[in-house]
Amino acid sequence: MRRFVRPILMVPVFVAGITAALPAMAQTVNLRLGEDPESLYNVQTNSLTANGVINYVLERLVYIDQSGTPQPWLSSGWTVSDDQTQITFTLREGLTFTDGTPFDPAAVVAHFNTVLDPAVASPQLATQGPLTSVEATGPMTVVFTYSEPFAPAFNALSGVGAGINSPTAVAAAGSDYARMPVGTGAFIVEQWIPGTSITLVRNDDFHEQFRSDIQNPGPAHVERIVLNVITEEGVAQAALETGELSAAALQADAIAQFVDNPDFQTIINKSSGNLTFLEFNQQTAPFDDARVRMAIGHAIDRDAAVMAAWDGYAQAAFGPLSAAIPGYDQAVVDELGTPYDPEKALALFAEAGWTDSDGDGILDKDGAAASFTILSYAGFTSIDRTLQVIQANLADIGVPVDLQTSDWGAFYPSLLEDGWDMDLMRWTWDDADVLNQIYAGDGHRDKLTPNADIDNILNRCSTTMEPAARLSCVSDAQRALLENMTAVPILTNWEVVAVQSNISGYGFDHAGYLLATDIKVE
Amino acid sequence: MNLDANPAPAALAAYDDPGIVAGPPRGGFRAMLRRLWRHRSGKIGGGLVLLIIFCAIFAPWIAPYDPLKLAMLDRLQPPSLAHPFGTDELGRDLLSRVIYGTRYMILVSVVSTGIAATGGIFLGLLAAAGGRWTDLLVMRLVDIMLAFPYILLLLAVIAILGPSLITALVAVGIAAMPGFARLVRGETLSVRESEYVEAMRVLGAGTLRITFRTILPNIASPLIIYASYTMPLAVLSAAALSFLGLGAQPPLPEWGAMLVQSRSFLRTSTWVVAAPGFAIFFAIIGLNLLGNALRDVLDPKART
Amino acid sequence: MTAYIARRLAMTIPVLFGILFVTFLMKALIPTDAVLALYSGTVSEDKAAEAIAAIRAKYDLDKPWYHQFVLYVGDVARGDLGESVRTRQPVIDEIGYRYVNTMILTLASLVVALIVGLSTGIASAYWKGTWIDEVAMGIGLLGISMPAFFFGLILIFFFSVQLRWLPVMNAGDWKGLILPALTLGLIEAAPISRITRASMIEVLSQDYVKAIRAKGLPESHVVFRHALPNALLSILTILGLLIGGLLGGAFIIEVVFGWRGIGELAVKAIGWRDFTITQAIILVSATTYVMINLVIDILYAWADPRIKLG
Repeated sequence: MRRFVRPILMVPVFVAGITAALPAMAQTVNLRLGEDPESLYNVQTNSLTANGVINYVLERLVYIDQSGTPQPWLSSGWTVSDDQTQITFTLREGLTFTDGTPFDPAAVVAHFNTVLDPAVASPQLATQGPLTSVEATGPMTVVFTYSEPFAPAFNALSGVGAGINSPTAVAAAGSDYARMPVGTGAFIVEQWIPGTSITLVRNDDFHEQFRSDIQNPGPAHVERIVLNVITEEGVAQAALETGELSAAALQADAIAQFVDNPDFQTIINKSSGNLTFLEFNQQTAPFDDARVRMAIGHAIDRDAAVMAAWDGYAQAAFGPLSAAIPGYDQAVVDELGTPYDPEKALALFAEAGWTDSDGDGILDKDGAAASFTILSYAGFTSIDRTLQVIQANLADIGVPVDLQTSDWGAFYPSLLEDGWDMDLMRWTWDDADVLNQIYAGDGHRDKLTPNADIDNILNRCSTTMEPAARLSCVSDAQRALLENMTAVPILTNWEVVAVQSNISGYGFDHAGYLLATDIKVE
Repeated sequence: MNLDANPAPAALAAYDDPGIVAGPPRGGFRAMLRRLWRHRSGKIGGGLVLLIIFCAIFAPWIAPYDPLKLAMLDRLQPPSLAHPFGTDELGRDLLSRVIYGTRYMILVSVVSTGIAATGGIFLGLLAAAGGRWTDLLVMRLVDIMLAFPYILLLLAVIAILGPSLITALVAVGIAAMPGFARLVRGETLSVRESEYVEAMRVLGAGTLRITFRTILPNIASPLIIYASYTMPLAVLSAAALSFLGLGAQPPLPEWGAMLVQSRSFLRTSTWVVAAPGFAIFFAIIGLNLLGNALRDVLDPKART
Repeated sequence: MTAYIARRLAMTIPVLFGILFVTFLMKALIPTDAVLALYSGTVSEDKAAEAIAAIRAKYDLDKPWYHQFVLYVGDVARGDLGESVRTRQPVIDEIGYRYVNTMILTLASLVVALIVGLSTGIASAYWKGTWIDEVAMGIGLLGISMPAFFFGLILIFFFSVQLRWLPVMNAGDWKGLILPALTLGLIEAAPISRITRASMIEVLSQDYVKAIRAKGLPESHVVFRHALPNALLSILTILGLLIGGLLGGAFIIEVVFGWRGIGELAVKAIGWRDFTITQAIILVSATTYVMINLVIDILYAWADPRIKLG
């Protein structure tokens, strides 16, 4: 008897020793926010920064997996009505929000009714397209009704804007809800120090993981994530070097010093859905002429822009959709894209009536010399450098252009006015519906000449729910847009993130959001 | 860098005590130049300023390359025989860009100070020469401009006019007007009381004649000294605006914009930052030294 | 004296009114507004037209600028600084703690500027013409010749990354205060140094100083009892403008170092076209400047009764 006492007594000490060591492993991860979000209530905002934060807290009915296919998340499945205007979701049972409120049809209906309410004026409203009503039709079923078939519906419902908030928390907190949202997600907002940081803690009662793109079957490995507001790129880089940041997305210039550094891993996310492109004010000559637009397309050395603006961490784009978006058709792009060919550019300009008739090195037509402006937004070296490459390229073929940048808040609305020629724009999206947003009708800035063919195709794409048929339609849309050269695509950049080498599991989903529950600190 | 274009030389405390005695330079204009020539740090400052002016005038002849020509194959080259200052992130020769940048340097300092001085002189004379109510009104306007946060005033003007190098200069010029206005008012008041103005009035000269023949030349000294303080500040303010993404637009080789656009290369390709950085630095040191020398030479009280 | 104070106070009211007036006038001239900026890029304006109109009406942005001005003055008089268009939170919450931070930075910088400025000024005056004088004046020159943001990045790199003495990310505590206060203080030390030097040289060359020295009083007595107070008076003269310069300089320094003050917010707010925040910061900033100048003028008048009170 006595012989076994000592080993038995050892066991509790041994166990105590291990449990004492455990908390040290579930540590804190420090990430970076480029700016303080204006609000964490997804009804009030649609900005990338806010969405990135809200993504930790709220979950949606569906998610898009790595192959681009919608999958059930908080729903367990759905059916689409015969006329394609209604989607009925069956919700998963037994889930609760972190404040104890049960997750049920009432919660889903409450969220979408708020979004749909015109008095609320939510920026999310337009994302949901022709959605007209959301109703509970059973103990665990909800029906979404649209005024016409909406092909991007699942994509819209997978976005952070469709994240379900706890209705009791929304009602109780009133205008303070924007400071502390409550959802069903793997993290809870613990504290928001305005302008400085947002601290998220692990939801220990997190339900089982329903997503197939996440390895971790349960609650997050890390205990705490602190999102630090750092506006200056140089400071973010420095913080990464000193270890104050666990990971951060890098600008092209900074990548070099982290790539070969054994203390860091660099993750390059090539599935980013984004496009930097040159748009035209088609209501002023000569940009109403497709040949001029195509000529400009041939005049631009995209590889130079890729090197200058992104240090090579980007790819030249020749089509209106970026390569990672389902529906991108490489064959169409190869056939109709405008590779760098200054000779061809000059030939097309000549066809349109622009030649250097007086030998001064500048193209002219009807006695007027070429001189145009490109507008864009300030504050991003990648945009600045892309602009300068474009300017130099155009100057080489005899088309002098002036550059003019201003704050985004001034630039974007100013495009609705007259008096501009071209602008350099960039979108970030993960669905082919972006083509509708930008090019349907007279375009997102009211400056395109409406083209019936393009509009028909775009409308078809948007109302074709059947996936294969929709993809084929999207291919047609790319063809039509390239034949018209409505805008000149320039490049798609890849997101590059440097992560401390003691961190594993750092990865992104199809939409580019962080899969935070997989992160482990060693 | 003092981000306030209305600096405070010891002289300009309250409205009524200008400090620097208005009047012609001691011994006349030639004597002043001679003193300037002998002033040691003034020579260095003057030399730097002359170098800048020389580069600005003869830029097309002395710059080895076209400052705007991209050469992606040669980007980020360290200093070498072919490129003494190296190349920037788009392959442009930094030496050429620095040389052409002197033109913008002069544009920035002269135009914004010119705007400030013109507006300031007008306001200051108006306040000093007009009646009591004009004085009160104009000086309250000046107070308002001074109390307005400097950066916000600049940003607001640029928001109204749209961002470009010219609007940045206009903004900096407007923001620097109050200082000039106060100075001119103070100096004018003191000159007005002086004896020879009395004499001229007795002899029947009109106000306008008095103003242009007598007052302006006599406040020239303090004005020049004040301008020598505000010019460097104008350059730094323009650089700060470039920092915020406003001001000179790419690809202009304006030093402030060059510095800001290349700051991510501070550690990896230091020369891209060093070239415009030191250019600004030496230009401002030159202006400051020249300003000090002018002050020593023109201000009878400040002989140290 | 009381009459002087009353008169000066009376003059500040129209100035503050004037500032608000100019602010609203500028707002009228600026082409876009916060509401459009909020929606920019996420949804087209015609789809959100109703929503935009509703928000505009809520914040009185659909009224002419002079009407908005009058409404705002009324609100301010009642202590209501309004709600940020961007975050829909009360402006007071957003600028309250930031105002305190900016004041802390300004004060800390002033302390640095006074310490560095006075000591270098005294040293250069006392050892006038020697290498100490040259070096001190040279450092002063360097301080005012370097763009702040450049200097700031170099300091961050040096002290935070290379030496690891200070954290890179600014948490708003005393450690985060050191670099910005040093930068701003060193820059503002230059004029203080020069004035101190000039003033001390003037005093030290007076005859009565020779007399005191002849009596055998120690040098420290001469410097600190006689010369220094004179220098301090000269500095008091420009203190108002100095503090104005500090307040102005703080704005950019805050952006460079990430110090959460009203300057950092103001710069961002103009970019967002969030006018309620911008208006409030202009008002608060201008009031502070005007009040500080008032206090200094009163102090000066009390200290030196020879000054004409006009």
